[in-house]
Amino acid sequence: MKMKKFVSAFLASAVALSLVAGCGGGDKKKAEEKKPAAAGAVKVGVFLPLTGDNAAGGELELRGIKLANKLHPEINGKKIELVIADNKSDKAEAANVAARLIEKDKVKVILGTYGSSLAMAAGNIVKDSKVPAIGTSCTNPQVTKGNDYYFRACFIDPFQGTVMANYAFKKGAKKVAIVQEVSNDYSVGLAKFFKEAFEKLAGAGSVVEIANYQTGDKDFSAQLTNLKAKNPDAIFAPGNFTESALLIKQARQLGIKAPFLGGDTWETQDFVNVGSKEVDGVAFSSAFDSTKAATPEAKKFLEAYAKEYKGEQPGGLTALAYDSYLIALNAMQKAGVDDSVKIREAIAATKDLETTTGKTTLNADGDPIKSAVIKTVKDGKFSFIDMVNPEDLKAK
Amino acid sequence: MNNKRNIMLTIAALVILFGVACFVQAEVNSYVRRIINLCLVYAIIGLSMNVTNGFAGQFSLGQAGFMAIGAYMVGIFTVPVELRADVFYAVPMNPHLVNVYMPLWMALILGGVLAAFVAGIIGTPVLRLRGDYLAIATLGFSEIIRIVITNATSITNGALGIKNIPPLNDVRYIFMAAAISYVLITLLLNSSYGRAFKAIREDEIAAEAMGISLFYHKNLAFMVSAFFAGIGGGLYGALLGTVDPKNFLFTLTYNFLLIIVLGGMGSVTGSMFGAIIVTAGLEYLRLFDEPMELMGIAIPLFRPGLRMVVFSILLMVCVLFWRRGIMGTNELTWEKIISFVKHPLSGFRKKGVQGK
Repeated sequence: MKMKKFVSAFLASAVALSLVAGCGGGDKKKAEEKKPAAAGAVKVGVFLPLTGDNAAGGELELRGIKLANKLHPEINGKKIELVIADNKSDKAEAANVAARLIEKDKVKVILGTYGSSLAMAAGNIVKDSKVPAIGTSCTNPQVTKGNDYYFRACFIDPFQGTVMANYAFKKGAKKVAIVQEVSNDYSVGLAKFFKEAFEKLAGAGSVVEIANYQTGDKDFSAQLTNLKAKNPDAIFAPGNFTESALLIKQARQLGIKAPFLGGDTWETQDFVNVGSKEVDGVAFSSAFDSTKAATPEAKKFLEAYAKEYKGEQPGGLTALAYDSYLIALNAMQKAGVDDSVKIREAIAATKDLETTTGKTTLNADGDPIKSAVIKTVKDGKFSFIDMVNPEDLKAK
Repeated sequence: MNNKRNIMLTIAALVILFGVACFVQAEVNSYVRRIINLCLVYAIIGLSMNVTNGFAGQFSLGQAGFMAIGAYMVGIFTVPVELRADVFYAVPMNPHLVNVYMPLWMALILGGVLAAFVAGIIGTPVLRLRGDYLAIATLGFSEIIRIVITNATSITNGALGIKNIPPLNDVRYIFMAAAISYVLITLLLNSSYGRAFKAIREDEIAAEAMGISLFYHKNLAFMVSAFFAGIGGGLYGALLGTVDPKNFLFTLTYNFLLIIVLGGMGSVTGSMFGAIIVTAGLEYLRLFDEPMELMGIAIPLFRPGLRMVVFSILLMVCVLFWRRGIMGTNELTWEKIISFVKHPLSGFRKKGVQGK
């Protein structure tokens, strides 16, 4: 009995000791490694969800940033070093990691993140410590609003909703229905601005039905039966790709013929896999079209991506992450690399910068004004239908 | 005699720690402060969960829901009135609430009281269940709270969440809240109520035979636990400066379950240690996420996510060797600390001495 206790205590302390020793060694190594880097390199913080619920999105974006770093590794003769940190798809971790990048790693600019709530958790920190951050795919307007230090490379929910409303109106829809995923901020935001824009175009009462569902729902027959009675010309249903694909499938089974419109979350192979034939002919907005390079930079990006990840097509997330790096790079070329407040000014002044998704200009809120692509699914493949520029929306 | 000495020592320790908190607030960078704050907030919530799970022996998994109530009270009432239109851009805020502003402490207490109230309503039917069934029912209720919050758009801004909560990264404030929670919970647990909780934990039938009202005491434990979870949740919201319903998925509860199981079910000081180990430890392990070079060659294993693997292994080691958590149902008492100081070797099993 006593022997057993002794053995277990001994083993436990051995494990603890080896751990401490291991970590200690690691620290020393790191210190050695950091010294030469600190002498010349410019540090850029990358904070993304690399584990947890959003890890898939985070990983795609990390590819974009790494690729951009590979193609543009230097600035004014100094090497750019990425400090990659994982925010675990968790808000508390996101706040910790943003503070860590700023206080411990002393980065001058931060790139990231996927997921608006994670970006909002970091918002106060970048604002207080005056280090600019460029969001990759956080589309909620609240991220940049009232925060001078948060910018982003993606377009925001209002713009996407407006684009799709205009598209629906152009295609002759007179009355539309909205099906929103009520527990998803992205879906709620798109739906709200779609409704506003469409009612402006087609008059009050043109949105005949707003139905709600929850993330993870599998059965939509109640919402769809209601919706069928209203007989809309088109249905706007932004949301997660799995739920959306199931929704469209069930709508077709119920005999609803109206076309479905959605947002950029649909641009994933899984959407087609779940929805199979039924999702043919849907239309959705996206930031990036991999079949047609919009700019020389996009061409460079596509070539490099094809070389690095053989046989894969880059999606919108990867392109946006690549763009966020370009925005930071451009700003640092103008403002130098020492003063983060100056870098912030330069980012805010970004105008007509050539990125993979067209020319990028940031507005007063720090959101980009850029064109959106409208895509469809044809025989299980994504294909390009139309391009919508911000000017087109104003003209109407 | 000893009792009096212990009280004096505890007060002295709290005063000294408060001094340390003031020093930390003034001298240490915001990253470290944030970690310390998170430890303290998690300690409050861990403690609250320990009241039902560890002391009253009722396996409840509703903590995330009660935290959500507290966090949303802070979110709804402490955002400056002029910034609210920015937040509620999709659906305007309820006209009865839009001009109601509260200071943080008031919103925290309101959140705690409301959480306790909801717990009272839930607890009345649910606490008749035992074991796994109780866990499932409370888990369900915590999800219901979250879904109500998601759908009450004009009050909570639904899925879009609330931001612009004045950020609170003040170690002194959160330390005071943690200290008050600690003192109140310890006093409760050392009273006749606390002994009744423990009696129920050990054997419900025997406890009832001794004249302890099961219904009353279980409900009391559940409500006290929800009250402090509400306060902890409010501080969590204030620390992050934003809340949204996805924060309070049922997986959040497992964080605190981990803390109390690691610290020891039924140990107040254990919950404190658990919170510190889980929060600060996970942050310390971040060095495994960074690329590491050994003799000029980058080790491919060192990539983001490795720390979670290491952490899991450490947890398994802990569970294997300390089957009842680090502290079990024991407390770190002044007697033990004093005997450790007098004879360091005899207290072989006691680790880290912290004045609390």
